[in-house]
Amino acid sequence: MGKFLSFLFLCLLPSLCAAGKAHVLLVPSGDAEPYRLFSDAFRQSLPGDIQVDEIKLENFTGSEKADLVVTIGMRAASLAVKKASMPVIAAMLPSYEYAVLKAMRPAGLSGIFVDQPWARQVSFLRAAFPDRKLVGVLASPDTGPDIDKLRLQLREAGDSLISEAVPRGTLFEKLEKVLSRSQVLLAVPDIAIYNSNTIRDILLSSYRHRIPVVAFSQAFVNAGALCAIYSTPDQLAAQAGLMVNAYIRLKSLPEPEYPKLFKISVNHEVASMLGIAIRSDELLILKLEQGGPTR
Amino acid sequence: MRHCFWLFSILCWQSVHADEYASELDYYQQLPTVLSASRMSQPLSEAPNAMTVIDRQMIDASGFRNIADLFKLVPGMYVSYYKGSQPIVSYHGATDQYSRRMQVLIDGRSVYLPPMNTVDWADLPITIDDIERIEVIRGPAAASYGANSTQGVISIVTTDSMDGKSASFVHGNKGINDASIRFGSREKTYDYRMSIAYTADNGYDNLTANPNGITGPSLLNNSYDSNQARMMNYRGNYHPDGANSYDLQFGFNHDTQGVGFSDKNPAPYQPTSTNGDPIHNLISHSGFVQGGWRHLLDNGSELDLRYYHIQENQSEAFPVYLGGVFFPGPVFQALQTGRDQFEFQHILSFEANRLSYGGNIQRNEINGQSILPPLSLAYTPSFTTRDYQAYVEDEWRISQRLLLNAGGMYEKDRMGRKRLSPRVAFNYHVTPENTLRAGISVAYRTPSLVETNLPGVQPGAMFVPSAVPDTPGLMPEKMISREIGYIGQFVDWNSTLDLRLYSDSLGNGIFYDKPAAGMRNGFTADYRGIEAALKTRPTENIDLIANFSHMDARSNGPDLLAAGYGGFRAVYPPGFSGTNDILTASIPKNSASLLYSQRLAHMVSWSAAYYFQGSMQPFDRNYIDFQPTQHRIDLRIAKAYRFEGGTSGDIALIVQNLLQQDAYTEYIASNLFNRRMFVKATLNW
Repeated sequence: MGKFLSFLFLCLLPSLCAAGKAHVLLVPSGDAEPYRLFSDAFRQSLPGDIQVDEIKLENFTGSEKADLVVTIGMRAASLAVKKASMPVIAAMLPSYEYAVLKAMRPAGLSGIFVDQPWARQVSFLRAAFPDRKLVGVLASPDTGPDIDKLRLQLREAGDSLISEAVPRGTLFEKLEKVLSRSQVLLAVPDIAIYNSNTIRDILLSSYRHRIPVVAFSQAFVNAGALCAIYSTPDQLAAQAGLMVNAYIRLKSLPEPEYPKLFKISVNHEVASMLGIAIRSDELLILKLEQGGPTR
Repeated sequence: MRHCFWLFSILCWQSVHADEYASELDYYQQLPTVLSASRMSQPLSEAPNAMTVIDRQMIDASGFRNIADLFKLVPGMYVSYYKGSQPIVSYHGATDQYSRRMQVLIDGRSVYLPPMNTVDWADLPITIDDIERIEVIRGPAAASYGANSTQGVISIVTTDSMDGKSASFVHGNKGINDASIRFGSREKTYDYRMSIAYTADNGYDNLTANPNGITGPSLLNNSYDSNQARMMNYRGNYHPDGANSYDLQFGFNHDTQGVGFSDKNPAPYQPTSTNGDPIHNLISHSGFVQGGWRHLLDNGSELDLRYYHIQENQSEAFPVYLGGVFFPGPVFQALQTGRDQFEFQHILSFEANRLSYGGNIQRNEINGQSILPPLSLAYTPSFTTRDYQAYVEDEWRISQRLLLNAGGMYEKDRMGRKRLSPRVAFNYHVTPENTLRAGISVAYRTPSLVETNLPGVQPGAMFVPSAVPDTPGLMPEKMISREIGYIGQFVDWNSTLDLRLYSDSLGNGIFYDKPAAGMRNGFTADYRGIEAALKTRPTENIDLIANFSHMDARSNGPDLLAAGYGGFRAVYPPGFSGTNDILTASIPKNSASLLYSQRLAHMVSWSAAYYFQGSMQPFDRNYIDFQPTQHRIDLRIAKAYRFEGGTSGDIALIVQNLLQQDAYTEYIASNLFNRRMFVKATLNW
C-alpha cells in the first residue's frame, strides 16, 4: 500500500509543479493530540510547492486567501461549511456527520471519514471470527451511524445483527441483553456508550460472558477488546494529502472517501484468555485484502 | 424518511455541537486498561488445573449471605460449620475444625493467617456483595498461586469500582439482620468504591436430644454462636494513562462472635466437671491496607507490584470451671497477628509462549498473651517469621492443539526449609470443542505455629502458641496430585462440561499424637475420585449449573489408631463406609449441587438450588456428630424495579432449607439447620 501511494505521488508531482505554488489552509478543531498528529503528517505528505498555513479555529473567518481549506475534525468542518468561500475538504469526521454537512453545503465539499465502511467491518468480522454469526451492537437511539445499513451488510454475509438502542441510564441492562444473545460485540463509536467511565463494566461483562469485543481504536484493544480495525491520524492525513494533490491538479473535488489505509490490532492476551484462536494482525490484513472490499 | 433522518441528525448535531463535543475524538480517546493478563483467568480448556468460577450471577442466584456457603457450588467441596460463624471449607472431605489445607486469597492477598494457618471467615472485611467472582482451583497450584495450596486455592476477586450509590437491608428469622451502604464513582482517571456494612445472625438452632437414639457421648452444646460484624472497605484505582494503574485498598472488620460450650459445666450429674471454654465472646479487630502498581510495558508485557499489610487482633476473657469449682477469673487471651508482604510479578507474552515469573517476601509477626489465674500460668509469646517464594510458569503452545503448562515455585519457609513445588500439565484440544488435560503437581504445607508450638493448656477459643516449640522437627505436609480432565465447550448449546479424575496422595501428614500431647508427622492418605460440573444456558433466560463428586479415600489411620495414637477416632457405626478408617468415613462418598435460575417477564426472577451430601463421620468428632445424608433446597424469588430518574432496586425473598422435615445437622450435631427465611431489599441511585 505504501509503495502504491509513493507511486501516485511521483505521478502527480509534475502536474503540481506546472500548476505553480498552491495555497492550502489547514484548520484543526482544537489542539487535541489526534489533530496535532494529523497536522504534522499532513504537512509531510505534501510536496514543497504546496504551501500549508495552519490557522486556529477561532481565527478562521472563511475569507482568507487560499485555494482550498482542509479541516480536521467536526468543529472545524461545521464552521468551514458555513463560512468558507473556497472549497473544503473535511477530514477526520464520521461519515454520518458528513452527511449532515453535505446537506447544508451540497457543492464545494468533500471529506475523508474517520470511520471504517460497514462492508470492511463485516469482512473483518468474517475474517476474524468465521464461526461467530451473531453480532451484537449497542447504539444511542436516533443518533450516530446508520445501524440498518450494517444489518443489511451482515445479512449479505450470512450473519445476524442483534442490536439494542440504549436510552440514557439503561446501558448495563441493554448490554446484558445483547451479550446474552450474541457471539461477538461490535463496538460502534459513541461516547455515550463507550467512554472511560463505562469501559470497565463493558469489558468485564463481555469477558464474563466470554464474548469478544471488536473495537475501533488501539486504546480500546489495550484496554481489553479482542481486536480493532481503525485508521490512525497519520493514515488519514496521508490520504488527505493525496486528495489535496488531486484537487490542485484537476481543480475539481473528488468524492468523499472512507479511509483507504487502516490498521488492525489484536490483543493476543485477551484472545488466549477467551480461548479464541485468532489470526495474527498480518494474516487478518492479508485475508481482508484477498476477500474484503476494494480498498 | 431519508429527509427525516437528516433533519433529526441536524437537530442532534446541533445539540452535539452546542456542547462542542467532537465525535471523531471517540476514535482516539484514552481508555484505562481493564482486562490485563493478571486480571483474567485462563479459559477452562487451557488452564492447567480444574477450576470452578463462581460469578456474580451465581452468587445472586444462590441467595447465600455467607461467603463460605458459596463453595457448596464447587464439586467435591465440603462446607460445614463448627459454630454459627466458624465455617469449615475443605476440599476432600472434613478435616478437623481448623481446615488448613487450602490457600485463600482476596485480590491476591492471602487471608490464610498464622498462628493456626486457617481462615477466619467471620473476620474478613468484605461481604458477599463486594465480590465480583471467585475462582476455585481444585488441586494444588503452588506454581501459580504460591505456598500452602495443598488441596487447592480459593481466589476471591472483589468489585473494583461502582458508579452511584446503593443501600441494602436484609432481615429474616434466626436473628438475621444485615445492612450495607455502598457508593463509588468512576471518573476519567480515578474510580473507587466503598462499602460500609453490618451483618448479624444468631447462628444455629440447638439439638436438644441425642440424634438417632445415640447414647454415650454427650452433645457438644455450643448454642451460643451469634455473630455481629461491622466492617468497611475501600478500593480505589488511579489510572493516569493506559499503561499505568495504581490500586489502593483498605478495610476493617470488628467482629464479635459467641464461642464456647456449656455441656461441660458442672451439673448435679457431673459435679466435678471441668470446662476451660465456657460460653463467652471472642472479639476480633482485623484490617488491611494494600497498594499495587500495574504497568504495561511497550513489549506488551505486564509488571505488577503489590504490597499489603494485614492485621488480625483477637481477644477473649472468660471464667473457667476446674474440677467443679468456678473461677470467675477471668482467663484472658489475646493474639495479634500481622503480616507484611511484598510481591512482584512479570507476565510476558510471546508468539507461542506466555511466561510469568515473580516472587514475594513475607514477614509475619505474632504476639500472644495468655493469663490463666486459676493455674497461676501466664505467658506472652512473641514471634517474627519470614518466608520467601519465587516462581516461574510457562504456557507453551506447542501446536494449535497442544498446550504445555509447566512451572514451579521455590520457597524458603518460616522454618528455614527450602523446597520446590513443580507442576506440569498438558492440554490437548481434540477438536476446538473437546479438550483433554493431564497433569501432575506437588505442593507443600508448612506446619503452622500452633502445630510446632502447641500450648500445653488450651483454654478458650483461641490457641496462643507456646513460646518454645515442642515439636521443632515437624516437617511440611506434601501433596502429590495427578489428574486427567476433559472439558467440553459447546458454543451452540451454550454449555460447558468439566470432568476430572484424580488421585492425590498426602504424605508427612500432621496429626495430633495424644499420648505425647503434640503434633507429629506420619499420616498418609490417598484420595481418588471423579468430579463433574455442567454449566448450561438452554435458553436466553435460563441458567443451570450442576455439580457432582464421588470420592474415596484411604489412610494409615487404622494403623496409627492401633499403634495407640489417640488422635484418630474409631469409626461409628462400626464398619460404616466398609472400613474402620476414619478418613474414609469422614468423606461424603457422593455430593452434588444444582442451581437453576430463570428470568421471567416484568423483571421477576427466581432460582432454586439443591444440595446433596452423603452421610459421613466428621474426622475429628465423636460419633454423636455423625452427619446423616443431607438434602437441602433453597429458593429465591426476586423482583426488580426501575424508577424515574435512574433509581432502581430489587427485593428478594430467600428461603433456605425449604423442606423443613429435612432439617439437618452440621459438623457438630447440635448445629441444627432449620429453615431460614429472609428478605433482601436493595436500592440503587
